[in-house]
Amino acid sequence: MTQAKQIKEFAKQLFRMSLEDGELSPERVDGVLKALEKNPPRHLLATLKAYLKFVEREVAKSTAVISHAGQLAPEIVANIKSQMEGKYGRKLDTVERDDPDLIAGLRVVVDCDVYDASIQSALSTLESSLN
Amino acid sequence: MSSVIEQIEQQIANLQNKTVATNTGKILTIGDGVAKIDGLSQVMYNEMVEFPGETIGIALNLEEDEVGVVVLGEASHLKEGDEVKCTGRLLSVPVGKGLLGRVVDALGRPVDGKGAIDSSETYPVEKIAPGIIERKSVDQPLMTGIQSIDSMIPIGRGQRELIIGDRGTGKTTIAIDTIINQANINKVGLASGDPDFRPVYSIYVAVGQKNSNVARTLGILEEKGALEYTIVVSAPAADSAANQYLAPYTGAAMGEWFMSNGMDALIVYDDLSKHAAAYRQMSLVLKRPSGREAYPGDVFYLHSRLLERSARVNENNGNGSLTALPIIETLAGDLSAYIPTNVISITDGQIFLETDLFNQGIRPAVSVGLSVSRVGSAAQIKATKQVAGKIKLELAQFRELAAFAQFGSDLDAKTKAQLDRGSRIVELFKQPAFNPIPIEQQVAVLWAMQNNYFDDIDVSKIVEASNSLREFFSSRKEGLLTSIREKAKIDDDLATELKTAVDEWKTSFN
Ligand SMILES: Nc1ncnc2c1ncn2[C@@H]1O[C@H](COP(=O)(O)OP(=O)(O)OP(=O)(O)O)[C@@H](O)[C@H]1O
Ligand SMILES: [Mg+2]
Repeated sequence: MTQAKQIKEFAKQLFRMSLEDGELSPERVDGVLKALEKNPPRHLLATLKAYLKFVEREVAKSTAVISHAGQLAPEIVANIKSQMEGKYGRKLDTVERDDPDLIAGLRVVVDCDVYDASIQSALSTLESSLN
Repeated sequence: MSSVIEQIEQQIANLQNKTVATNTGKILTIGDGVAKIDGLSQVMYNEMVEFPGETIGIALNLEEDEVGVVVLGEASHLKEGDEVKCTGRLLSVPVGKGLLGRVVDALGRPVDGKGAIDSSETYPVEKIAPGIIERKSVDQPLMTGIQSIDSMIPIGRGQRELIIGDRGTGKTTIAIDTIINQANINKVGLASGDPDFRPVYSIYVAVGQKNSNVARTLGILEEKGALEYTIVVSAPAADSAANQYLAPYTGAAMGEWFMSNGMDALIVYDDLSKHAAAYRQMSLVLKRPSGREAYPGDVFYLHSRLLERSARVNENNGNGSLTALPIIETLAGDLSAYIPTNVISITDGQIFLETDLFNQGIRPAVSVGLSVSRVGSAAQIKATKQVAGKIKLELAQFRELAAFAQFGSDLDAKTKAQLDRGSRIVELFKQPAFNPIPIEQQVAVLWAMQNNYFDDIDVSKIVEASNSLREFFSSRKEGLLTSIREKAKIDDDLATELKTAVDEWKTSFN
């Protein structure tokens, strides 16, 4: 195994230790970080970076980022949350972001899936179809 | 006018109500035309993905936590962190008769400056080859117009015949001659109004060649009036490795369209050695493990899945065919190198061109001993079988005996006769580049040979004599040539007519 692969394997083990019932647990992450600090492995920086990647990906998978232009009613957020949770079969956190570039409407991002119902994307689709 | 406005309004309304779902990712690293992508969790193997600036890539490496994408075309504007989108579509290219007479790149886009391509249909670049049940055995000839090939190594529609030889031994010329011959046959056949006539359309795929070479080939096709029946797919040496990798599949898709629509097509891959090299380069950048001669382990599959797509399909599937002439370049005639052995094992025979013959002026430099067609005489018309049945054997014996020719007068009469016959056949088969000979003329000349009309002509004058005989037939005996073509066999009547005609020529030639 190459060194890079070994580091990745190790980071993945650390990541698995950070899960509780299949979900990322802040306490466990804390524990992993403390253990790393006490017994630093040979390539601490690279290991931490690889570990961060796994954690980031997991966070992205369990977060619905809702971008919106203008006001966003709490019922809508709740509605999106429950629909997305149904679709992905897991609990999701929601993060709201105000993004005036959308002009009007919404964009929801869960991991690498983008659900776009904004005027901005409608206009750019229209633009490319007219080209 | 108002309907146009309604249309746009409708489209706006549609868009407003629609939520567009896309699967996306981000570029982790990019270099040498290959991008590693984080995300794209839904991407399929060989799916088209979209980068910013309408740049297209194909997903080739699907790994646990990243996707390796080959960027098609210019990649210099792409950078780390850029968004990549799945398209849900496999790479497709335009197909159809509108491409005939055109030159396109590996993505089927015109590069000949003749404007947009008239095509409403697209076809996936990678497709599963026809199965056993849909196929039919190869039994219709595909005439190359090259005497030595049509008489000794006949090619049938749907066959895959490899053209193999060292640099500069005339490989491309054989393929181009065959394309020109198809155009010549098409013109005669279409003009005859025969409802059963089946034209052959050609696709010439140029991989990793110099632009000047492609331009020369194009010039010849145009000059010989063959371009209008031909599609040229070009991924020159200056193109990215990804485009060179892709071009043969693009050509195959265009050819397959003809086959699956009940037509006959011929495809030339010039050449698969450069194709394999482009694939090796791509694989090294994708960090795939490499094996023999640094090629990745699946290089066999690279060519087998390409050549499997050539076939003859049966009547229930439209009776179309796609004949393939892949070209491989060898080093010092070594057929046992990795890529040559692979491709030899996939094809239905090979035409082996020898540097020695080429340098001795025996051109086309076809090696009789090492060339075979596994379809054989099933793909010959009866007339050719009648006049050429024994020629391959005679020539092979001649090659064995040639070493003893120096003993001259000491030889027994039979050996001397074999040597005389052999040396005349060698001369007869000499043929200049880009001058395919119609099968009826070939039959007439070989008939004269078989019936000893050349025996008393000096070996050094055989080329002249056969040219003169063909000239005599095409200018004075056109009707006879047409009968040979239409009957496709020599019956007693034709034999008598041939005898009268050749006798007449013989008196004028001496
Ligand atoms: N039958 C022929 N009679 C005379 N000259 C020929 C004949 N066939 C080929 N040549 C000439 O030989 C040269 C090499 O031919 P060609 O380009 O077909 O070879 P090739 O094997 O494809 O070469 P490369 O390895 O460079 O692709 C050309 O100049 C061509 O015109
Ligand atoms: Mg060539």
